Amino acid sequence: MLPIALLGATAAVGAAAQAGPAEDYALHCMGCHGVNAQGVPGKVPPLAHSLVRFMNSVEGRRYVLRVPGAANSMLSDARLAAVLNWVVAQFDAGDLGRATPQFGAQEVAANRHRPMAGVLATRAAVLKEIAAGGPAPAAEY
Amino acid sequence: MQRLDRIFESSARSLAQRTSRRSFIGVLGQILTGSLLIPLLPIDRIQRAEAATGPEGSPAAPGKVPAAAKGKSASKPYTEDQQSCEYWKYCAIDGFLCSCCGGSSHTCPPGTQMSVVSWIGTCHNPADGRDYIVSYNDCCGKASCGNCDCYRNERERPLYRLSRNNDVNWCMANTGSDYHCTVSVILGSAGP
Repeated sequence: MLPIALLGATAAVGAAAQAGPAEDYALHCMGCHGVNAQGVPGKVPPLAHSLVRFMNSVEGRRYVLRVPGAANSMLSDARLAAVLNWVVAQFDAGDLGRATPQFGAQEVAANRHRPMAGVLATRAAVLKEIAAGGPAPAAEY
Repeated sequence: MQRLDRIFESSARSLAQRTSRRSFIGVLGQILTGSLLIPLLPIDRIQRAEAATGPEGSPAAPGKVPAAAKGKSASKPYTEDQQSCEYWKYCAIDGFLCSCCGGSSHTCPPGTQMSVVSWIGTCHNPADGRDYIVSYNDCCGKASCGNCDCYRNERERPLYRLSRNNDVNWCMANTGSDYHCTVSVILGSAGP
């Protein structure tokens, strides 16, 4: 089940020249995460109302940038940062009632090249940290 | 007139004194051999051959080529037949065309369910000259259709670029994960 979610995270082909984050989401993320970033229950983790919680956690931010679907995507550091920021603005706006710290190319570059061997264990640890401060995203991915 | 005769006579005699019949035959031989070698020069003839016969030797697909298609890729056959692998929307497809399996180019055949995850591509529509984002969803829950196998996979990457490889059963996230055929759903315009 896990490989399915990871494989699907960036399953896409093609790229429009000078694509913006909306186009990058469509081409690199939407194939698995869905038009509304809703994911597939039990198979593909949702980004809507979920990514924002990771982005407001120190370990969560590192986790998001290191999951295989994001880290191995064909997007540059700047475009990966832009598409993640776009997803939060598009699907998670107002979820926490405060502004979410944005990703930048430097933060992406510093994290995405560190391989994550145990995705499930890392996610469980991150969710524990998030749960300490409020509702946490689903754990089963 | 006599003057003209003298000029030709003197030039002919001069030529005859300087050259032999054997040398004439030698030069003629060189010209003939050289002209025979011209077709062996490395000239790209693929485009002309494809325009006449189609990319794989099949006759060019029938259909009126819209103005936007002309000049953009004159070597590619243009078709409006949605049961043909050459149809523009199938540029990144890998599978059996659902239009040959009881469905249509964008709807699954009865008794199958559309995959919840999909392969995404961009295709150029020669009819209006624009690029479109296309979702290639598999139709799941029945055994393989087997009709109109179509492999184009434009911009696919080898398996070591897993996120860009389409050798995947996109029914994997469905309850019934048997693969039947593939549809092509236009999601929107890929450019401004």
